[in-house]
Amino acid sequence: CERVGMASRDVPLESMSAEQIYRRAELELETRDPEEAARFFGEVERLYPYSAWAQRALVMQAFAYHRDGDFESARGAAQRYLDLYPGGEDAAYAQYLLALSYYDQIDDVGRDQGLTFQALQALREVIEVYPDSEYASQAMLKFDLAFDHLAGKEMEIGRYYLRRQHYAAAINRFRVVVEQFQTTTHTPEALYRLVESYLSLGLVDEARSAGAILGYNYRSTEWYQDAYALLTGRGLTLEPAGDNWLSAIYRQVIRGEWL
Amino acid sequence: CAAVYRNHGYVPSDQSMATLQVGRDTREEVAQAVGRPTSTGILDTGGWYYVESRFRHRGYAAPEEIDREVVAISFTDGGVLRNIERFGLEDGRVVRLSRRTTDGGTQEIGFLRQLFGNVGNLNAADFVD
Amino acid sequence: QNFQFSDIRIEGNRRVDSASILNAAGVAPGQALSAGALNAAYQNVVNTGLFETVEIVPAGNVLVIRVSEWPTVNQISIEGNRRISDEEIQEVIGSVPRRVYSPAQAEADAAAIAEAYGAGGRLSASVTPRIIRRSDNRVDLVFEIVEGRVTEIERLSFVGNRAYSDRRLRRVLQTRQAGLLRTFIGGDTFVAERIDLDRQLLTDFYNSRGFIDFQIHSVNNEFARDRNAFFVQFNVQEGLQYDFGRITASSSLPGVNAQDFLGVSTIRSGGTYTPRAIEETVARMERLALARGLNFVRATPQVTRDPRNQRLDVNFLLEQGPRIFVERIDIEGNATTLDRVIRQQFNIVEGDPFNPREIAASAERIRALGFFADAAVEARDGTGPGQVIVDVDVEEQPTGSLSFGGSYSTDTGFGLNLGYQERNFLGRGQTLAFNIVTATNSQSSRFTFVEPFFFGRDLAFRFDAFYNTDDFDEADYNTRVVGFSPSITFPISLNGRLGLRYRLSKDTILDVDTGDPDNPLDDGSSPIIQSEEGSLYTSSVGYTYSYDTRRTGLDPNAGILFRFSQDLAGLGGDSEYIKTEALLLGQRQVFGEEITLRATLEGGAINALGDTETRVTDRFFLGSRQLRGFEPLGVGPRDLNATNEDALGGNAYAAARLEAEFPIGLPEEYGISGGVFLDAGSVWSLEDTTGAGGVEVDDSFHLRSSIGVSIFWTTPFGPLRFNFSEPLQAEDYDNTRSFNVTVSTEF
Repeated sequence: CERVGMASRDVPLESMSAEQIYRRAELELETRDPEEAARFFGEVERLYPYSAWAQRALVMQAFAYHRDGDFESARGAAQRYLDLYPGGEDAAYAQYLLALSYYDQIDDVGRDQGLTFQALQALREVIEVYPDSEYASQAMLKFDLAFDHLAGKEMEIGRYYLRRQHYAAAINRFRVVVEQFQTTTHTPEALYRLVESYLSLGLVDEARSAGAILGYNYRSTEWYQDAYALLTGRGLTLEPAGDNWLSAIYRQVIRGEWL
Repeated sequence: CAAVYRNHGYVPSDQSMATLQVGRDTREEVAQAVGRPTSTGILDTGGWYYVESRFRHRGYAAPEEIDREVVAISFTDGGVLRNIERFGLEDGRVVRLSRRTTDGGTQEIGFLRQLFGNVGNLNAADFVD
Repeated sequence: QNFQFSDIRIEGNRRVDSASILNAAGVAPGQALSAGALNAAYQNVVNTGLFETVEIVPAGNVLVIRVSEWPTVNQISIEGNRRISDEEIQEVIGSVPRRVYSPAQAEADAAAIAEAYGAGGRLSASVTPRIIRRSDNRVDLVFEIVEGRVTEIERLSFVGNRAYSDRRLRRVLQTRQAGLLRTFIGGDTFVAERIDLDRQLLTDFYNSRGFIDFQIHSVNNEFARDRNAFFVQFNVQEGLQYDFGRITASSSLPGVNAQDFLGVSTIRSGGTYTPRAIEETVARMERLALARGLNFVRATPQVTRDPRNQRLDVNFLLEQGPRIFVERIDIEGNATTLDRVIRQQFNIVEGDPFNPREIAASAERIRALGFFADAAVEARDGTGPGQVIVDVDVEEQPTGSLSFGGSYSTDTGFGLNLGYQERNFLGRGQTLAFNIVTATNSQSSRFTFVEPFFFGRDLAFRFDAFYNTDDFDEADYNTRVVGFSPSITFPISLNGRLGLRYRLSKDTILDVDTGDPDNPLDDGSSPIIQSEEGSLYTSSVGYTYSYDTRRTGLDPNAGILFRFSQDLAGLGGDSEYIKTEALLLGQRQVFGEEITLRATLEGGAINALGDTETRVTDRFFLGSRQLRGFEPLGVGPRDLNATNEDALGGNAYAAARLEAEFPIGLPEEYGISGGVFLDAGSVWSLEDTTGAGGVEVDDSFHLRSSIGVSIFWTTPFGPLRFNFSEPLQAEDYDNTRSFNVTVSTEF
């Protein structure tokens, strides 16, 4: 039997024209319920696949799902747009929406890094396939942020090992940041941590070469001043790192800063 | 109470070290003889470092590094074995770690977000009588 | 020859826009095109799979690309399916609504559906795809299914089996011979994959009984069309049955003493040879090496055959395994859990030697956290030779619950019930739980906080605060216990952990029924209880030593848990006593880890110090989890002369439980398994035994026991356990109970 798509106020969708359903969906998007809007956009495409509205509705459906936070369906709709209309004028936007739906799921650095990889690949697709679209610059900005986030993840694990005195493991993680993530904001800290780790192992000349790189590229940072103090044993003393064990409990257990 | 000991890392055995010849062996030959290093220096010309440490876990005390052996193999610019040095636990410097961290640019999961995340997975029907 | 076109026109496309056809074809106006280039363009457009027909027609200096599009699928419906639901079929088929309709895909889907029916034994099912044309070049895709009858296996026979009868072998296979209950049993249908599984089951059956040369020559199955049934015959050759001969161990590693490793072998020379016994001994040897911190040790079994007296001599050679290191440990899928909470479950660090047993043990610890529905830990090749990357892929599951509710009843009035429990608070692995229940006469609230890795060490800190008023309907007095208790727990040996705690509480016994003044017969509760009314402070310190080898022991599927705890009350506060409790639990998995046997023995005693006496709040009762088949407070000394005959508890208790848990054949995803149990136990001994009317209360030891079956069901709210029990021995004044539901907690 023919399943009749019903509008929320029981107006049979069949009789409405593509544009009417599209306008209805846009209304839903603005006012109340992006999920309902996504359903309407889907109906436009299903009932009038050849109308000009169908193409626009598909990308709007992806946008509606994304706003509703349903990233999975947003990706599905965006991907379908790219399959059907690779040359469409909204293709860049669809690809960008695809990347955005991965990107917005990344949160704190202690968390899942699988999403970050997918976000990076999707963002790179936007930058390389649609370089002159208005979304390329946005994608580049988000690419750097995601890249920085990945570096943050490596640093987090490096600090984990550093704190537990596993210096070799820590060194390897910080070297990954220095070698593969030079452009991120974490590089100065990585270099400083390398100074800390090499010194802890007693490899003073390696520590010096790390300090030299830090000095050459990031002389104005606090990390350099700390490294200078560590290496020469003189100069500015470190900020008071010592504290009594009670404040350590508060910091580590309540605030979750476990370093 | 009895302590639990755990070894980490790996330092090549003395016999395999004996086969190395300063001034002759290249990086590949060293890797063949004693295996790849636990970690390496920061520059491409940096040395190869094999680190093995032994930790004692006793009761509620923090795990304590009671022994560490570092074998540092350095190479000339030409990539030929220059020197083999050994460092012990006593050569290491006690470094107070800085607590400052680079802000990751993303926020931590909020208490409320997790709190309301839990509401969803409970069938409230059978609790509200 | 070459063509030159000033313009390219696309005709016949309605949905797919011309720009995308142009860039698919890869031709541009003004471009010199050879015949080959034209053909390539044609091929590209066809390959998009969007068009039914494609024509490339050079007309003068204009190139016309004429296409006719496949219709798009408006909707898919399935008719005639009873055995398999629409959803299951939707997953199998590739066609998707709103996408382009392709006849090839529809044919493939029909075949996939038929195959799904074949897997269910309905080989004669037929599936035909049909389309209904709609407006705007859209079609509805309909799959018409004729399911047909099930083809069953009439006879399952074996040739060449001397040691075991056909009937015994049939019990080994999963495929069943069609019997009386043929319509209900699904196993008697002919499914090719299941026959392959049966070949493996048969081989394992014989191998694990010493027939190492066992072979299946062939499995022939004839299909009798007239009776719509199969006849299956296994032709086997058993070979000789071997036993274990001399078991030896040798070591090619300096500093590794082979005899120590031989000591952990579980193989009895002379016993029937089974590959499993060898695998188990290899596992035990490698776990011993792990416990001793030896790197790269591998135990390789060398089997030498002695056909004359059918014995196999096994020598375990301890040799240097390949030098492989863990390059990185990458953790993925942890949406809320912090990376360090998972990483600290690893005893190894990046850069350490790679030891598969240690990785398996860490995976076990990660799963034991209870935060993940699934935690897959695999090792894959690293960037360099001899390096491995350990991938931890977790799938999180809800770890918290939030319940709030209001309750109103005529006698207790309006009450609020707010409960929050989170076992992975803020993803830090901490446990935070508080609940508040307020009804006019029974208020109870509890606050619990646990930090399992205090200061980043293997040191668990726990803090409990509680305010409990209980009005048992089985007793005529109420108790209120208010207090708090901080405690820490840490490992003191490989398998042993020590917990230290302090507890301060104010225990109050109130509303004791002192009888109806104008009814002489009703003198209320026992004078013993009446004398204990009032509130006392208890300030106690205590320790618990626990030794648990179930996960870290040498034998992966057996182990014991021993727990011994003592609490000394009297550091300030009023009550002074020493309370000692002990528990010993042995557990073993048998029959290929299908069935778990568990024996538990526990007991405890409380001795009042100085001239004080124990009170009902301090004394022991047996809970329904310790002795099934009885009400809470249902067992133990009771003042039978007092009108309320309330239970008094006892200064000593003991309980023993023998249990077995096993699958009951339901498919895995139901999460239902069964169990049988035999419980026995008692509560006894009181200081003050003068009951109502001066009559002595019998506080001697009377054994109670019960037997029963239980059903385990893992629900989204936790593992439930339904117990059906029948008391065997009980005192006439005990309150028995034949059914109860508990959450089956993991010790």
